[in-house]
Amino acid sequence: MAEEIQLDISPMYEGERIRKEDLWVELGGPKADGFELTLAASMDEVQDGKVTIIGPDLKDVKEGSTIPFGMIFKVAGEKIEKDLESIIERRNHALLSYISGLMHLNQRYDIWMRIGKGLAKKGVTSWEQIFKPVVTLYKAEMPFIEKMEVTIVTDPAKVKEELAKAMAVYQARDSRAKGLHDEDVDVFYGCTLCQAFAPTSACVVTPDRPSLCGAITWFDGRAAAKVDPEGPQFPIPKSGCVDAVAGEYGPINEMAEKRSGGEYTVMKLYTFFDAPHTSCGCFETIGFYMPEVDGIGVADRDFKGATPNGLPFSTMAGQTGGGKQVVGFLGMGILYYFSSKFLQADGGWRRIVWMPKKLKERVKEGIPADMMDKIATEDDATDLDSLKKFLLKVDHPVVGGVVRAVDGKKITEGWKFDEVTDEQKEAVIAFIEKTGGDIDTEAVKADLGMSEGQFMQVVEALQADGVLE
Amino acid sequence: MGKVIAITGKGGTGKTAVSAMLLRHLVKSGKGYRILAIDADPDANLADALGVKVNKTVGDMREFMQESRYTTPPDTDKQKLFEAKMFEILIEEDGYDLLVMGKPEGSGCYCFVNNLLRGIMDKTIDQYDVIIIDTAAGLEHFSRKVIPDLDALLVVTDSSRRGLTTGERIRSMASELGMKYKNMYVIANKVTDSSREKVAENAKSVGLAVIGTIPYDEKLANFDLVGDPLIDLPDDVPSVQEVSRVAKELGL
Repeated sequence: MAEEIQLDISPMYEGERIRKEDLWVELGGPKADGFELTLAASMDEVQDGKVTIIGPDLKDVKEGSTIPFGMIFKVAGEKIEKDLESIIERRNHALLSYISGLMHLNQRYDIWMRIGKGLAKKGVTSWEQIFKPVVTLYKAEMPFIEKMEVTIVTDPAKVKEELAKAMAVYQARDSRAKGLHDEDVDVFYGCTLCQAFAPTSACVVTPDRPSLCGAITWFDGRAAAKVDPEGPQFPIPKSGCVDAVAGEYGPINEMAEKRSGGEYTVMKLYTFFDAPHTSCGCFETIGFYMPEVDGIGVADRDFKGATPNGLPFSTMAGQTGGGKQVVGFLGMGILYYFSSKFLQADGGWRRIVWMPKKLKERVKEGIPADMMDKIATEDDATDLDSLKKFLLKVDHPVVGGVVRAVDGKKITEGWKFDEVTDEQKEAVIAFIEKTGGDIDTEAVKADLGMSEGQFMQVVEALQADGVLE
Repeated sequence: MGKVIAITGKGGTGKTAVSAMLLRHLVKSGKGYRILAIDADPDANLADALGVKVNKTVGDMREFMQESRYTTPPDTDKQKLFEAKMFEILIEEDGYDLLVMGKPEGSGCYCFVNNLLRGIMDKTIDQYDVIIIDTAAGLEHFSRKVIPDLDALLVVTDSSRRGLTTGERIRSMASELGMKYKNMYVIANKVTDSSREKVAENAKSVGLAVIGTIPYDEKLANFDLVGDPLIDLPDDVPSVQEVSRVAKELGL
């Protein structure tokens, strides 16, 4: 066993960089394999303070070289469960960086560490002399860790082997994280980064609703708020639910009022209508309601053409941006399109009628299979008329009325005429004469450009007139 | 934090050459400074003047981070990721490190990424004793506050009256941007014996302090012509000597 050496350990060394001239050994990074993995184990599986070395020890590594490197921390304690693994692992960066002469960058399979010559001067010869203190550090920082054991892997073949095993663990963690929903957390995060140019913008980031700019997920909010809770990203307690479907919460309303300088008092998360989320200005995509079809179109920043309502992205973004709450327009991040709460109060995907082809391709995994062919692109429709024809043809839910998935409630009536005109009556009479009374709904849509409901409206009007029986 | 010195000026005035010579002086000073050079001018090429090959820039990494929102696992710590990416593009030379800012932002929102970048730049700069920044006259990175406050802002001009007008303009732009610096100086480049006095007089009339006048220099011009790294200039070249004198005046 290597002799114990007193290392300089302090938070002030965090962020210390080991420069080329001070480099003793480089571990992992862009030029070699590397990984870190923390695993929860039962109390009898962990031998506290033990450091196992598989492969060359530090003193046997050539000065100035870069080697593959893996470190596996096994932790045990009464309160330790699987879910804590990644939380403990995330502390590696800070805690290892506390050691003077040791640099740690990045995470998981991307770790990049450097050992400085300073540690050689101190007499360090073994990984054990570095990682024994790490165990002590962890147990002081996270007292729920009762036992901790370290395995250092430097044998290249063994690093590859263990890395492959670690990848499976990361993947399992990721699928758990991807499955995280608003119901699973008790804190949301607010973000006011863009208030410099959108003074009343008050973004709320939840697991199911990433930021409008697309840059900040709930996990990013959590990370940033932890570093500086008074900074531009801050926690919002998830409580006082007013409307679970529209996503209205008391603390969010309070936050919106405070951060918008009293401009807005209510802000809902999953809707376009009635107090929608504020729109900052540099959102990735914009949604726009088209009353003519009672549906929502979306366009992204890269789509330069006009949308079916005649307006390009830039014009709509200009009208909506600046931190305003504009009913019928909403800035949205691309990741939101993959959310199970995507505009859930408005019918979600069943309400989306148009989007640029490229955007549709990009988010296709978020689109429910039964809606895929029902959403028009610029190839199908360039104005309201061609859009209406397309929606009739594919029998889009907006035509007959949208039943929203979240609670099975029918939220739109489907297409109706405000008033039946003489022209429409004449067209229907001519149609009936032509078809000889054998009414086919497909033909109604194709020849008359009317929905079934609209056709029936005209027929009823004709009946009232006494023209039809 | 170390001393931060930015060198700016119109294209063609020789500000990159001045930056390179200042760096050369610091590296050879034998004082063991930890030195960071930042090439913050997308048009100029400090790296070239130093004879250094650049693969990726801060601009590339900023784009990488923009894209990372779709590609990284959900709970990736983006600060950590960006820090590592920034370390990856740091060019470690003998005696100094070089960071190339590269291309400016594309469309889309860079609020979050720039916010991370500011934090990382602050931390990075903390690691050095002297930071030399070669920056475009437009001061783009300063308007984003990606580069922190300065100890000295050096404006390189030619000896013309118009050259000094650039100095005036940069001064007013810096104040509009809320950019903080302790001192601003002019370095007049390619000065002849006959124009030296006139330059001093002109500078005085617009309230700018001249810290150095670099003579027109055949040897420097030759290095530039051939494309040899200016870091290899010999000690006895007049322009090198003048830049060294300026460095001493700046307390380096």
